[in-house]
Amino acid sequence: MPPKNDHPLQGEMLQGTLDLLILQTLVPGPAHGHTIAHVIEHRSDDVLQVEHGSLYPALHRLETRGWIASYWGVSENHRKARFYRLTTLGRKQLTAHTDNWDRLVRAVNRVLRPAEE
Amino acid sequence: MPWLRFFRRDRWDQERARELQGYLDQEIADNLARGLPPAEARAAALRKLGNPTSIREEIYRMNSLGFIETLWQDIRYGVRGLLKSPGFTLVALFSLALGIGATTAIFSVVYGVLISPYPYAHPERIWAPQIVDRKDPQQVRMAHHLREYVELKKLPAFSDVMATLPEDRLLTGNRPPENFRSINVTANAFRFLGVPPVLGRTIQPTDIRPDGQPDPVIVLSFGAWQRLFDGSPSALGQTLVLNESPYTVIGVMPPRFGWWTHDGGWIALPEDPRDNRTAFAIVRLKDGVSPGAAQDQLQAFHLRLAQLTPADFPKAGFQTLLKNYLDVTVASGEMQSSLHLLFGAVGFLLLIACANVANLQMARATARTHEIALRMSLGAGRVRVFRQLLTESVVLSAAGGLLGVVFALVITRAIVALMPEFYVPNEARIAVNSWALLFTFAISVFTGIVFGLAPALRCSRPDLVDALKDAGRTSASGNAGGRSRNLLVIAEVALSVVLLMGASLTIRGFLQLQSLDVGFRPDRVLMVGLTVQPKRYSTYEQRIAFTERVVDAVGTLPGVRSVAIGNGGLPFGGQRTGYSLEGQPSAESRSMVIGLISSGYAQTLGIPLRAGRLITPREVAHAEPVALINETAARLWPAGVSPIGRRIHFNLLEKPPAQMLLSPSLTATFTVVGVIGDTRNDGLRDPTLPSAYLPYSVIAPVSRTLAVRTDGKPMLLLHAVEERVRTVERDQPLSRPISLDEILGMETVQPRFNMALFTFFGFLGLALGAVGIYSMLSYNVARRTREIGIRMALGAARGDVLQLMLSMGGKLVLIGLAAGLAGSLLLARLLRSEVFQVPSTDPLALGGVVVLLSAAALLACFVPARRAAGLDPMSALRHD
Repeated sequence: MPPKNDHPLQGEMLQGTLDLLILQTLVPGPAHGHTIAHVIEHRSDDVLQVEHGSLYPALHRLETRGWIASYWGVSENHRKARFYRLTTLGRKQLTAHTDNWDRLVRAVNRVLRPAEE
Repeated sequence: MPWLRFFRRDRWDQERARELQGYLDQEIADNLARGLPPAEARAAALRKLGNPTSIREEIYRMNSLGFIETLWQDIRYGVRGLLKSPGFTLVALFSLALGIGATTAIFSVVYGVLISPYPYAHPERIWAPQIVDRKDPQQVRMAHHLREYVELKKLPAFSDVMATLPEDRLLTGNRPPENFRSINVTANAFRFLGVPPVLGRTIQPTDIRPDGQPDPVIVLSFGAWQRLFDGSPSALGQTLVLNESPYTVIGVMPPRFGWWTHDGGWIALPEDPRDNRTAFAIVRLKDGVSPGAAQDQLQAFHLRLAQLTPADFPKAGFQTLLKNYLDVTVASGEMQSSLHLLFGAVGFLLLIACANVANLQMARATARTHEIALRMSLGAGRVRVFRQLLTESVVLSAAGGLLGVVFALVITRAIVALMPEFYVPNEARIAVNSWALLFTFAISVFTGIVFGLAPALRCSRPDLVDALKDAGRTSASGNAGGRSRNLLVIAEVALSVVLLMGASLTIRGFLQLQSLDVGFRPDRVLMVGLTVQPKRYSTYEQRIAFTERVVDAVGTLPGVRSVAIGNGGLPFGGQRTGYSLEGQPSAESRSMVIGLISSGYAQTLGIPLRAGRLITPREVAHAEPVALINETAARLWPAGVSPIGRRIHFNLLEKPPAQMLLSPSLTATFTVVGVIGDTRNDGLRDPTLPSAYLPYSVIAPVSRTLAVRTDGKPMLLLHAVEERVRTVERDQPLSRPISLDEILGMETVQPRFNMALFTFFGFLGLALGAVGIYSMLSYNVARRTREIGIRMALGAARGDVLQLMLSMGGKLVLIGLAAGLAGSLLLARLLRSEVFQVPSTDPLALGGVVVLLSAAALLACFVPARRAAGLDPMSALRHD
């Protein structure tokens, strides 16, 4: 029996957030899974402590959507690794979703901290 | 195309594995570089990544199509589980195949005969007018005079009207003469019926010439085309000589087109109001006109006609009915009743099969409680387990259905072979067609759900802790579900009792019919129809002379004992008429049957003379007013009064139909000269009617029936009789040669059909029920092995154990038997049907069922009970 979908907390928003982070990580250039995981962890000042494994389903999902593409390459320390790069579609999606994200953050902030407005 | 992922996911999975391994290698290398010891480095990397297998599983699932995926998995799992217990699977499959197969077969017959018997366009929208006598609803007039038809056509409620006038014409030319069924139809008939020809064209309105005369053209039935022209396309344009006029063949209809004939043809009927004949009209209603409104309109029309020509309508008033054509032709009589009951019977059979499988499934599921509990404690959801169990049931029933189709093909063929032809419309085709297969599929899934639901529901909510603690031990305490299993067994027994009752009653009815004294000797009598050419024999004298010469010619044939000719009473039928007895008060509503006979009648049919004398050849030749009556008619006089020499007045002969050729000396009053024995003159299953036999020469119709008693097999003489008749008239065909035995056989075809099928299904039900009892008890013996061991250790003898088990089964059987008998008595009261000729309280029928069922049930109980009694107490105690 495969277990049931056991991510009750990881709702659409969080999942979308992880997607966004991955896409953003790939903007400078192609990277493999290990690199992506560490980059996200460092850039967020270790706030986003996710199991690195949960990255891979997200990568797979993005790839089937055609937002990123993958190929086998050789890593910086000469190991075979699977590299991911942004596709044109992915780039467009990133822009669109970043805008959405900004709007969302502003909206949430207005609610949470009305005094600062 | 995303769904392609579905097929590539194994390769993808391997890639993921390599990719994740790549991550781990990298992370381990990094950790080593940070100075961690190798073991620590590896553990830390794994911690960081999480569980690689569950990651792969998640990705794998992203590539699958959810529901279908798990369904497929459930199916595979179900099949594996079923194969693991072949005994259970075999019994279950067999039960289901029998149940579903029988249901499919009867559905095929019902579909072919009752639901869709006709190839015509929208047969359910064809209506037929009927004029019912208010006083005697049995008297129904269905035909209209052509002058009435011409008016009827104009009623605004109808969108289309056609008329049919059946006629036999003499087919001659360069072929052996035969009576050719040629159906006269109005020129719009083929458009009305909406069936295209397979060859040539059909009759068109242009086939009626402007002067109102029809073109001499004929459309052939498929059968006639095969018979007369060997199915050659060159038949088109050839001529057939019918009643001495040539008709050109213009078309051939497909095999299923059998409008009033399936081996004759169709000829255009001009709508001539001066034609005094009557034809059968059928109509289609205009859109938006209800049958009720159309019927009112028609009734008003008939009332108008009745004012103009009151003689054509019942004196006591009448009611006009508009009947659906399917009801008039198909849904009448015993065949329909029989098929409906059979459909019910196979429904019961299917229920028994379902109960059987449900029981087995329940027993198996109970044994699987531990497995299911384990799976649920490992995280399987209730819904998931429930669905899986249900899927397993449906897999089982689908396999059963597949096997059932094979079974249905066999039964359907057998049913068609048994089926009395004349009870079924010409056009009907009985086959396991796509509708039947769809039906099978539907009931397979349905039965799978029906018998799977209860066990699945029960097992998907076990008390986990208890079930696990039980650790698969088959304990006596876990008796949950025992009661529902018992109920299922009782239901099975009760249903098989009902089925057996049906079988038993039909058998009794058939046997009664077989042992019936018909009052005549049916062996070695050849019967043929003789229809003379009306134009060639146009006068009374010509026709009587012809008949006499035929009787003389055939009577002197070697091997012929005696000859009779006439109308009615051969052995059934005859004109009914009101009568009055001399010296007795007249009785308004009573009627008597008249048979027209020659002097050899009683001798040829083997009817004994009871009193007086027979009619002499001289009296027949001169159409003298003398009559024989049967014993039932003789009892119309008060006891002690001899009817010999008394006179009877027949109302019918007072005012005979106008177009009939009559004896010049015809009177309506006849003197009784003799009494002959009673015969079953109204069919085998109806009481004898009072009957009078008059010299055939009182009238001279076109058709007579010739009966010949022979020394040897009657059919062997057919050719010789034919030759003799030809010496009298070169072009004289004999129609429908048949032996008297065969005529009686036809009377019992339907009862035999009922008996065969009800018995077959009854025994299937019994067998399934017995298997149900057997499997239930076997399961109980297995479940209670330890208990039995303890009982034996405490001193119970083998006989005690045997008794214990037998009484357990016996109780259920008795309850089921009682419920079944009560149910069948109730059902018999509800469905009073002519299928069952004996009352449902018939002691022999009841007794037979009780004995048979008890014997089968006892056997089914005895085998497992003996096994229980034969247990070795020591090993039984150690039994898990």
